[in-house]
Amino acid sequence: MKHPIISKASRITIWWLAWAVLAVGQSLLFYFVYNIPLVLALADGFVSMTIMGIIGIFIWFPLTALRSPGKVDIAVIVNFFVIGVLIVYIWITATRLAVGAFFTDKNDYGDLWSNTITYRIAAGVLLYGVVILTYSLLLSGVRLAEKASRQAQLEAMVKESELKLLRTQLNPHFLFNSLNSISSLTVSDPPKAREMIVKLSEFMRYSLSRKNEQPVILKQELENARLYLDIEKIRFSERLVFSEEISERCMNAMLPAMLLQPLFENAIKHGVYESTGQIIIKTTAVYESGNVILTVFNTMDSGVISGKKGTGTGLSNVAKRMELYYGNESYLRARQTEDSFTVTLTFPYKREDNK
Amino acid sequence: MEKIKTIIIEDEAPARELLRHMLKDRAEIDIICECSDGFCGLKEIKENKPDLIFLDIQMPKLTGFELIEVLDERPQVIFTTAFDQYAIKAFELNAIDYLLKPFSKNRLDEALNKAIERISKKETRANPIDLLIAHKPEEEGPITRIVIRKGSGIKIIQLANISYIGAEDDYVMIYYNEGKALKQQTMKYYEDNLPSSSFLRVHRSYIVNLEKITRLEPYSKDNYVAVLNTGEKIPVSRTGYKTLREKLSF
Repeated sequence: MKHPIISKASRITIWWLAWAVLAVGQSLLFYFVYNIPLVLALADGFVSMTIMGIIGIFIWFPLTALRSPGKVDIAVIVNFFVIGVLIVYIWITATRLAVGAFFTDKNDYGDLWSNTITYRIAAGVLLYGVVILTYSLLLSGVRLAEKASRQAQLEAMVKESELKLLRTQLNPHFLFNSLNSISSLTVSDPPKAREMIVKLSEFMRYSLSRKNEQPVILKQELENARLYLDIEKIRFSERLVFSEEISERCMNAMLPAMLLQPLFENAIKHGVYESTGQIIIKTTAVYESGNVILTVFNTMDSGVISGKKGTGTGLSNVAKRMELYYGNESYLRARQTEDSFTVTLTFPYKREDNK
Repeated sequence: MEKIKTIIIEDEAPARELLRHMLKDRAEIDIICECSDGFCGLKEIKENKPDLIFLDIQMPKLTGFELIEVLDERPQVIFTTAFDQYAIKAFELNAIDYLLKPFSKNRLDEALNKAIERISKKETRANPIDLLIAHKPEEEGPITRIVIRKGSGIKIIQLANISYIGAEDDYVMIYYNEGKALKQQTMKYYEDNLPSSSFLRVHRSYIVNLEKITRLEPYSKDNYVAVLNTGEKIPVSRTGYKTLREKLSF
């Protein structure tokens, strides 16, 4: 860790100004109370405070080595005490030698020393305490700043992973294939092409602008699903048929945005992509004793049910998001038969106003 | 100049339409037919022997790659797809070009020019390996391994690595430990010639390797599925279930 004083020019100035003030204070004390000639009192004051100032800067290094953050035990207290005694002793001895140089009369000097020794010990202890206090305040400030920057870093990481998630959610092949279909429509049916561009834009805006955990009402979520299915419908035309049957009450139920998207994507991927015939996707929602029961059903080409192409991750992500939002009152059930796939979501009916 | 017989094989109608539109001003291109799935494409290629095909990769039932690998005589191929991760495989198959949807007219023309150049040089379409397989007489008697084309080479599949065989039109799809491959062969041929100790036809459309079955599960009323160690589930017909019981004696 960097030294909190000498790493900044402004702090060095403040540091020495503080010691200068103390030096003047001590000089006045010596002059008035101990009747020591002003020049000598000033010399003593500045010399002793300069020495303490220098010690104070160096004391930082053993202190940081000793202080374990947030933990105070006997060993630490003993260490601080021993260092304190040492420092007061060094300070007084060094001052005596240095100030001694100003005196010609050894008696005056001896008087001065014996008169002020009690004061010096008390002042040393006090100054040592003040220095330690200053450092610990600065240190906690530094720690706080570090914590804040770590927090910011963490938030950036979360955001990045969210973006990554979104990128994988927003299937690029869907985008490219849709653009290709639109390109075709510009030739055969330009008004339809414009309509599809608007739909694609709306769908993209919905999936990109929302934060993952921001809830929406079912009506909005289904409008978005319809956009998605409409776009896929141009690609697959009569191979894709979809319908919905939603009770009026359920339309206002709250759910996390884009919760249903993976279900429709799965239906397209495992239904339409794998079949040459027609695939039906049907969405229903009913209200039942405080819960919304929502089903996405799709037909599939009969035949071998592949165990490899897992819908697993998509579905478990949906389940995870439901659990995050509703707690453990919600559940997801998937059922597969030879020629159909059904996902049923059961979650508590929440309305916008009673969040 | 002789016209270039061309087939478009693409499962999305708008994409077919767009391609047809973009080819309109190329008088030398004669689109003899369009197919919306791989098996239709396979049939048309066999019957009409086109010079050039436009081939989508992701299609239901049969992908563009599987289609190419089963052909004895390959026309020149231009792949069209929205997926960029298959380019290397496409060129291993000696494709002329790999167009990423949506593509521009310029990009298409570039691919066409390459195709015309190759066709006019009359580059041999079939490589010696293809001919070797194509003219190899089908042996009668027990099959000990199955030879398929993979990329530009051939691959030998040991019987122990086969999970099951499924009927696909006039072909069969061999599902093995590393993927699947189409063979021009009948279910009857495999039923008769695979060792009956380990292969059984459990359904009109499926022959399964008995060693790969981990359990049998009831499916719907009167129906069963065989669950393989790969997790795949194979439908078992009523007669198939009966013989399976006899074979496994339970």
